[in-house]
Amino acid sequence: MIKVEGLYHSYLKNDNFAVRDVNFEVAEGEIFGFLGPSGAGKSTTQGILTGLLQLQKGNVSVAGYDIKNISRKMFNKIGMSFEQSNVYSKMTAKENLSFYSKLFDVETRDPIELIELVGLKGKENIRTGEFSKGMKHRLTFARSMINNPSMWFLDEPTTGLDPAITATIKDIIKEQNNKGVTVFLTTHNMFIADELCNRVGFIVDGVIKLIDSPKKLKLQYGEKLVEVEYAQNGNIKKESFSTIMQEDRDLLNQIIADKEILTMHTKEATLEEIFIKVTGRGLA
Amino acid sequence: MKLLSSFKKELILASRGFYFYVELVFALVLLAVLLFAIPQNFSSTSTEYLFFNLPQEGKGIFINNILKDDLDTKSEMVEVEASGKTFNAELIVTDESEIYIVDSEEAVRTLADSEKVIGAVIELDDNNQLHYKYYLQGYESTRLKNLISILQNESTDVLEERFENQDVRPLSTDYEPLTDRENTIPPLIAFSGSLMGMFIMASYIFLDKKEGVIEAYAVTASSVWRYLMSKIFVVLLTSVVSGLIIIMPVMGFRINYGLLLLLLLTTGFFASSLGLLIASFYDNLVKAFGVIYLLVFLLMVPSIAYFIPGWDPVWIKIIPSYPLLQGFKEIILPNGNIAYPLITSAGFLAVGIILFTITNTRFKKTLSV
Repeated sequence: MIKVEGLYHSYLKNDNFAVRDVNFEVAEGEIFGFLGPSGAGKSTTQGILTGLLQLQKGNVSVAGYDIKNISRKMFNKIGMSFEQSNVYSKMTAKENLSFYSKLFDVETRDPIELIELVGLKGKENIRTGEFSKGMKHRLTFARSMINNPSMWFLDEPTTGLDPAITATIKDIIKEQNNKGVTVFLTTHNMFIADELCNRVGFIVDGVIKLIDSPKKLKLQYGEKLVEVEYAQNGNIKKESFSTIMQEDRDLLNQIIADKEILTMHTKEATLEEIFIKVTGRGLA
Repeated sequence: MKLLSSFKKELILASRGFYFYVELVFALVLLAVLLFAIPQNFSSTSTEYLFFNLPQEGKGIFINNILKDDLDTKSEMVEVEASGKTFNAELIVTDESEIYIVDSEEAVRTLADSEKVIGAVIELDDNNQLHYKYYLQGYESTRLKNLISILQNESTDVLEERFENQDVRPLSTDYEPLTDRENTIPPLIAFSGSLMGMFIMASYIFLDKKEGVIEAYAVTASSVWRYLMSKIFVVLLTSVVSGLIIIMPVMGFRINYGLLLLLLLTTGFFASSLGLLIASFYDNLVKAFGVIYLLVFLLMVPSIAYFIPGWDPVWIKIIPSYPLLQGFKEIILPNGNIAYPLITSAGFLAVGIILFTITNTRFKKTLSV
């Protein structure tokens, strides 16, 4: 559904690349998580995939369309939910969705049905300027489904939502995916990615560090982590070490030899810990 | 269909926004100014204070001479107050002046000083010759001062004879001038009807940029040009409505409204496209303010040439508002040149298309994520 080869992009059109040599593929019906900290190149990559940014270098195809010569028809197959809510504040929720439904050449969904789906029943005739941030975000999310997309781009779909609404949004994503919709999920929320994604890609400083399924990553890194609690200069310190990486093994041996060990056990790593381990960077 | 939907959406947004009503209210205010503040023709009536320090017979000759031009050939005795003093005066009202004949030089000086007008004392000198003393304000032009000097050095009879014998023949016989009120319409309609579109359009775009809805539109199966064009349609609609608000009550059905609409639409299209182009370079109105201000200032310069026909340098004619003003003037002139607004419309349409094409390309390239 998505194929990216040798993608480079520079906002200043020089050698200062926001993304460099990015390569990946997303299969039809897959939920692909694109994970990374702020400024890592997630939005740049997604902007190119959705035609919001011009392709400078590399080959990209989305839903069978070459991004070099972008066709408006491609957008009949694409849905895009933005991280920043962007709805017309002077129009009601229903007017917003009704307007967007007329901009596609394919059969579209009933605006009222979508409004109810995201938990905004009864708010359809209220101008969105009166909506809370979370309500606007849900409407932006609902709008991305208006044209029954087969390729669905979701940029931080649960940001700012309470746990109950987050659960609803996750269910909708799963339901759409079960219907065959391919999902490209951009997020720095590792729990969402862990729960929803078939595969995840870690991007840092514009470079993809790793692509694999959360399950395989946990098998590879999780089972081979040792969490050690030890005393040092009167303080208690807690650290995790990989049992397969030589550098970590050496450090662990040194601590066992030199320090007073309080507790030590293996544990399953979270996706966030794996990200930090692989990229050397946090997700803040 | 997509364009129509976008246009309907823009109409809804405009009707719920601020700028839509600003333009219409502004047009109504201008109409009120035209109808109630600007007279059909500006009056050039001046006020003069005279004191004839002459024997009664000589004074009578002067006054009788002036009375010939009085509207009812009768003078009126009045009291004039100035600087806390009251002066008796004989008022003679002619087509061109209100002449107060007072009874002392002090009255002339006081009134000239407080009312900021010319006063004169006519008296006899030692040789029994007429002597004229003028109280001027100091800012009178050299031309006026020279004229006053000449008047005193030439016999009034000779001057009158020469004036009457001058043969003045208009070379163009089919030219009917506009009234002062009608003459004021082209600048008002050009700036409120057409060029205001530039500012309004930029404002609309900046509102959309703030809400991020341009990106949302860009990921639909509709092209960005439809988004931009639908906004232009709304601006054109308000331009036409505000233009008609100003012009219809004053001109009635005496002008060619087909031509007027054509010029309003093409110049509105040009101005809107210019507004779009400016908006494509900036994030918000504050950042774009400098450029918009400079452009508005530049576009206002030809209105100086419009009101001062003697100042008409070649460079001013390349500023778009120059042909715009002249185009509107030709439309409302009773025997106006039809070709001028037609050619002007074609020019504005062509430049508008070029600007719109550039803007469309810029918007497609500069959509940020």
